[in-house]
Amino acid sequence: MRKRGNTMLLGIDVGGTFTDAVVISNAKILAQAKYATTHGDLMEGMLAALDLVLSGIDTSQIQRVALSTTIVTNTVVEGKTDKVALVLMPGPGLDIAKMVPQEPYIISGYVDHRGREVARPDESEIKVVCRKAEKIANFAVVGKFAVRNPAIEQAVAAMIRQYVAPAYITIGSEISGSLNFWRRTNSAYYNSAVWRQFGIFATAVNQALTVRGITAPVYVLKADGGTLPLDTARNYPVEAIFTGPAASVLGIMALAAPEGEAVSLDIGGTTTDIALWRDGVPLFAERGAVINGYPTAVRSFWLSSVGIGGDSLVRRQGGVLAVGPSREGPPMAVGGPKPTVSDAMIVAGIASFGDHAKAVAAMAQLAEGEQDVKLIAKEVLQVAAGKITTAIGDMLAAKAAEPVERVADIISSNTIQPNLVVGVGGAAAGIAPLVAAQLGVKVKVPKGATVANAVGAAVAKPTLAVTFRADTEERYFTVAELGLQDKLENKRVSLNDAEILAKKYLAERAAQAGIGVGKMETVYAEEFNLVRGFQTVGKIITCQQQIKPGVFTDVAIEEGE
Amino acid sequence: MQAKPLGLVFFPAFDWAISPTHPEREERLLYTRDQLVEEGLLDIPGIKEYKPRLAKIADAERVHIGVPDIASLITDAHLVSAGGAITAAEAVVSGDVERAFALVRPPGHHAMRVVHGTRGFCTINIEAIMIEYLRRQRGIGRVAIVDTDVHHGDGTQDIFYHDPDTLFISFHQDGRTLYPGTGFTDEAGGPRAFGTTINLPLPPGTTDEGMHYILDNLVLPILADFAPDLIINSAGQDNHYSDPLAGMAVTAQGYARLADKLKADIAVLEGGYSIEDALPYVNTGIILAMAGLDYRRVVEPDIARAPKSIARNTAYIEKLVRQQMGLWQNRFSLSRQACTKAGDYWQRQRHIYYDDSSISEQQLERVRVCTKCHGFITVESQSNGDYQGDYKSIFAAIIPREPCAACRQQAKDAALLAKTQGQFQHYIIQDKENDFVERL
Ligand SMILES: [Zn+2]
Ligand SMILES: [Zn+2]
Repeated sequence: MRKRGNTMLLGIDVGGTFTDAVVISNAKILAQAKYATTHGDLMEGMLAALDLVLSGIDTSQIQRVALSTTIVTNTVVEGKTDKVALVLMPGPGLDIAKMVPQEPYIISGYVDHRGREVARPDESEIKVVCRKAEKIANFAVVGKFAVRNPAIEQAVAAMIRQYVAPAYITIGSEISGSLNFWRRTNSAYYNSAVWRQFGIFATAVNQALTVRGITAPVYVLKADGGTLPLDTARNYPVEAIFTGPAASVLGIMALAAPEGEAVSLDIGGTTTDIALWRDGVPLFAERGAVINGYPTAVRSFWLSSVGIGGDSLVRRQGGVLAVGPSREGPPMAVGGPKPTVSDAMIVAGIASFGDHAKAVAAMAQLAEGEQDVKLIAKEVLQVAAGKITTAIGDMLAAKAAEPVERVADIISSNTIQPNLVVGVGGAAAGIAPLVAAQLGVKVKVPKGATVANAVGAAVAKPTLAVTFRADTEERYFTVAELGLQDKLENKRVSLNDAEILAKKYLAERAAQAGIGVGKMETVYAEEFNLVRGFQTVGKIITCQQQIKPGVFTDVAIEEGE
Repeated sequence: MQAKPLGLVFFPAFDWAISPTHPEREERLLYTRDQLVEEGLLDIPGIKEYKPRLAKIADAERVHIGVPDIASLITDAHLVSAGGAITAAEAVVSGDVERAFALVRPPGHHAMRVVHGTRGFCTINIEAIMIEYLRRQRGIGRVAIVDTDVHHGDGTQDIFYHDPDTLFISFHQDGRTLYPGTGFTDEAGGPRAFGTTINLPLPPGTTDEGMHYILDNLVLPILADFAPDLIINSAGQDNHYSDPLAGMAVTAQGYARLADKLKADIAVLEGGYSIEDALPYVNTGIILAMAGLDYRRVVEPDIARAPKSIARNTAYIEKLVRQQMGLWQNRFSLSRQACTKAGDYWQRQRHIYYDDSSISEQQLERVRVCTKCHGFITVESQSNGDYQGDYKSIFAAIIPREPCAACRQQAKDAALLAKTQGQFQHYIIQDKENDFVERL
């Protein structure tokens, strides 16, 4: 009997192989379904999984739907992106014309590091660009340092609209409020390039849900593990790239809630995704995701991928056992051609699927002389775990070697010392405990690990960020993501005031996007005194606030599920 | 876009200042940071960023004689900045990158061998510490330093004045018109190292043209001739036309083209106090040039302000280059003459002023003119704090890297004798052969 009145959360994860759907209620998985991903038309597999999971569910009880989808990734990978009129105001500096995904139109006009307009955009140049780009549906406008004065990009966009009628113009400073013109440019380009495809997808999703009587708000997962309302996401589709690993990380958060400093492993068929955690939150990539080889400003978790999974090939190389990164088919236990990690798990008694005898035969192929197959199986798993342990070590070293800007941060080093390994994914039970033993820490392999991604999507909270920056000498402030630049009334603004104001604008942005504010946190804050001629003439204060990524509810999986 | 592998140590020390309104304050590299991040320079394949290591006190005491010791004169920031230079050098010497730039502060080129306090914003000499580290740990021999700061690199000059294996070339605004008031052509090195210190005092208003005339006609030919294992650039940026502390007329393009031609293995930031109008552009230009990337679009917004060359300056610079080229070509015979003239010992008495610490130092330096080694050095140094009335004194004996037996013994004897006579507060032997400091 399913009680009425319970919150039901529907999560769908379109993965590379399977599309998973779950319904979560009362912190438990109420229903789950799996369907092969349909690569030609993602909707087909999604709807099949949806219909499977909804059978017997009162859809009117569903209060929230969240999708983790490869639509944006696929659009890019399959080359279905649209041509973009990429309009850049690079000002002086590095010439990025040949470093971006598409040849840009370079126009004059720029602001400097203080947001002061040094050169005005030239309308006659924009007119020429519009004539040349007449047939292009989507534009992107990005200016160097425009996050310090978003008006310059908006002015150019307004001029473009006088001459042509693009379906959408991506404004660089709205995509990211952080410095990095090259990354904002790449982000803005991809945002416009996938905008149409994402729109088609969003419309199809809305229709499909309506037909099934689901009126609950629909969210999409972003690479930073947060969600955005589907209709808001239409204008920020680039944020919805690489959501699979983000969904997995959130699934781990919901299923295992790692506290303190930890390492999580998502051990799949051929790869293991590793994330580092501090205070129950995964670490973010320092600057942003890389799309098709181009660095972007899309915020994402910091993940390292190593070629070890259940299907990883096991063989002897010069007498030594070698595991992965190649795959030559499924495990021998289910009819594959060569020994795999999963075969080792079956022989070691950690997994039980397929033909046990075939798994034993696989291990026997690897045995030297009269060696016991169980011993071989254990050795295989140790070797596999060793490669993951090495990759973890590299991440911890990279973290410790991250450049800093302050003496204090050199003296107190920024290291992570994990005290827990959390493993999800098909091969987690066999390998995660060995990795933990090699690191000398505790291990947790939560149940339900195989649907972690869909669970992650279902329970992910919305996130958003704003960057508040005040320049009290120039007497203005900006909130780039809101396209806002305004006079600073209070010249004596402090870092504390800036934090309060940043939170206010974050709440405003959240309201615009149709999401609750949740728990806010300071991502970044700095304050500098400006001295000119031995006099302090003002301050520059920057405060970036975000709605903290997280999950609505922890999810427990009961025995037998 | 593929860069030639460039290592970058960027350490702006946002929590360190000499005083809140001092040119060496938290804000100095803020706009440079903004520009580098906004340009995406750290994302370019081939530009690799490194976190600076902390130098050890022993790394500093391999070079300096602190009174009473180095630890009591410095802050952690100094060890980070010296460590940043070492990190950059290690990246190059280990073959990880082709070149490296230590964009760090606090600077160091005014810090001399003996240190009583801070002068010209410098307490310890980060290039010298890096070079002596490389010699000790990495077996580097001959090193050339090209100091392109507007101020004479008097500290670096002092440290290597008697070392013929270290070529020090400094061009700077004439000492008659700018701190520290030294760096004239007759400062050419001790008798055994005569000619390996080359000073090029330039008139105020010197432009890119003047700087590149010197580079093409003097600096590059001399470097080719000296054939060092490593070229170090003390990359001060205060020759810029907008610098508030000096009066030169060099542009970001001028500096970038200099970096392009010089092809320094390691560049280390020194001064440069036009923090908004120059540093963001000069540093971007240097990084692009060192990485072999196109820097032609790096132009200051107010470039129209940059003064043009003056004919009188051009004539002076051409004459200076001829004169110093003559000195370089005749350096061996001039060195022999200087040795003969000096006799057994060369000595000088100096007054050294520490502007940031309000200290004046009286120093007597003696070096043995030895045919078998660089010669041992003794320094008798006394200082007075102008306001506090603090008095500090030290007697130091320095044993060179590869000493002859006589110099080694005589250096020790000199220190022991001074100790017995008891006229100083501190007595120290800096043994560069064994990398060891002994306090008597
Ligand atoms: Zn200087
Ligand atoms: Zn000797």
